Amino acid sequence: MQPDRIAIEELVYRSCLALDAMDYKGYLSLCDDSFRYTVMALSPEIRKDMVWLDHDKKEMTLLFNNLPRHNSDHSPLARHANVYTVETATDGKSAAVVSALQVYKTTLDGGATELFAIGRYLDTVSLEGDAPRLAKRIVRLETRQFGFGYHVPF
Amino acid sequence: MSRNAEQWMNRPKFPSSHFVDSRIYTDESIFREEQQKVFNGSWIIGCHESELPGAFDYRTFTHPTGTPLILVRGEDQRVRAFYNVCPHRGNTLLYDPVGNAKRITCIFHQWSFDTKGNCVDITREDQGFQKRYCKADAGLREVRAEIGYGGFVWVNLDDNACTLKEYIGDALSMLEEYMSMPLEVFHYHKAIVHTNYKLWHDTNSEFYHDYLHYFNRVTGMMQPGYFDRKYTGYPNGHASVGSMTIKYDAYEGSKERGVGWPGLAPGGWILIDIFPAMTFNLRTSVLRMDTSIPLGPNKLLIEFRGLGLKSDTPEERTQRVRDHNTIWGPFGRNLHEDLLAVHGQGRAMQPGSEATWILHGREENMTIHDEGGMRHFYAEWSKRMEREAFDPHGDRQVETVA
Repeated sequence: MQPDRIAIEELVYRSCLALDAMDYKGYLSLCDDSFRYTVMALSPEIRKDMVWLDHDKKEMTLLFNNLPRHNSDHSPLARHANVYTVETATDGKSAAVVSALQVYKTTLDGGATELFAIGRYLDTVSLEGDAPRLAKRIVRLETRQFGFGYHVPF
Repeated sequence: MSRNAEQWMNRPKFPSSHFVDSRIYTDESIFREEQQKVFNGSWIIGCHESELPGAFDYRTFTHPTGTPLILVRGEDQRVRAFYNVCPHRGNTLLYDPVGNAKRITCIFHQWSFDTKGNCVDITREDQGFQKRYCKADAGLREVRAEIGYGGFVWVNLDDNACTLKEYIGDALSMLEEYMSMPLEVFHYHKAIVHTNYKLWHDTNSEFYHDYLHYFNRVTGMMQPGYFDRKYTGYPNGHASVGSMTIKYDAYEGSKERGVGWPGLAPGGWILIDIFPAMTFNLRTSVLRMDTSIPLGPNKLLIEFRGLGLKSDTPEERTQRVRDHNTIWGPFGRNLHEDLLAVHGQGRAMQPGSEATWILHGREENMTIHDEGGMRHFYAEWSKRMEREAFDPHGDRQVETVA
């Protein structure tokens, strides 16, 4: 395993831990200033790719800041990622990272856990700073039904 | 002051049109009756014409009665609807939600049908049936289908029902000019929620629940003109809410929508509920369409569609998608709140739980926080069900209040 890969994998896993802990500042600290976050899913029904969220870092910050103002399901999520591939660009400045993603939801009342969503993280990681940073994350979802939904992105 | 059991069930001091018995949301027998008396003869949206762009394109759709349907565009470009049921042994004909089929062939015994519903092949027909049964006897069951009102494909299972035009009447007149150009679906997702379909339609029929949404409180409720919007009821249980202007920049991170909708005032909003379970919702730059498909008294499938103009440039479409999803997408600000609220109603009103009164008693001259939209729905529901919504089993003995 290349040393860079360890740091890149840890970045992906730390992003999951931060969101699971609702540590949004911590999550954003893992993101480059140029960060862009997109949730996508293919709808076979209308034969189209859909973009469900598309935010830059400022918009993600606002999304997180506005969460307390909204009525939301407070069941905690657990994001499980497995890094499949890391492909470093030829100039060494970035890496394309593909991870499998499973999201579990656990009810506050009783603690029942259900598989909430599956998909992939398609990340572009910046390697230009002192540590790898998320420059772009596409959450490519397979799951398209979420019951009554959720406010916090995956 | 809290109430004891008797006080809890004391009838509200409203006319009986202004509250309902919660058992209309929970009883299995009422739900089964609704499938026949409410849904079977109503025009229901099966899909949008843009989902069937070419000849032989099909969509499958499960009707609220539970009947599986195929919606298919023929070589003659006409869209027809059939039961998705093989007349031989009752198997499903088309399994995928979407596809292209010049011939609709049952996987079980390879009986085959064209897009006009004709049976075109029965394998080993003569050997098995010896002229006692032939292709002419084996056509698909066709269901009435019409395209209209924004290019939606409407179906009706009742061969003797009125026309779509008669069914809608003037209910969509406020929207028709905005739906006169070709539209296209860009968003589709389903949600299954443990609640009753009427509770979702109720939510789409009253704006008092703007208190649920921080976003609506700051962009709508605080704005001049908000309380001037009026409900209008139409025959067959439909209802509309007049236009208003949304001040999007009152929500941090939001802004004035740049794309808009041809002819609609910037920030405009028109909502029309079609009986028994569909809602047209044109908000600034996006048309949202909800179609509710009840799966049980306390289980509901909702199809959510977002539409733009077929003529959209890529930039315009991107903006519409963005406008749609920040509010109404699966991770949008408002949709989760609305679904969470009706989930909570379903959770509180479990089948078999003690009945309670559900209030529709607000009267504000039919303006935006008046609950007249729901009352209008339940008047039609009671007529079709031949049951009073406030006394569905005839055991309430509620005296009439003038």
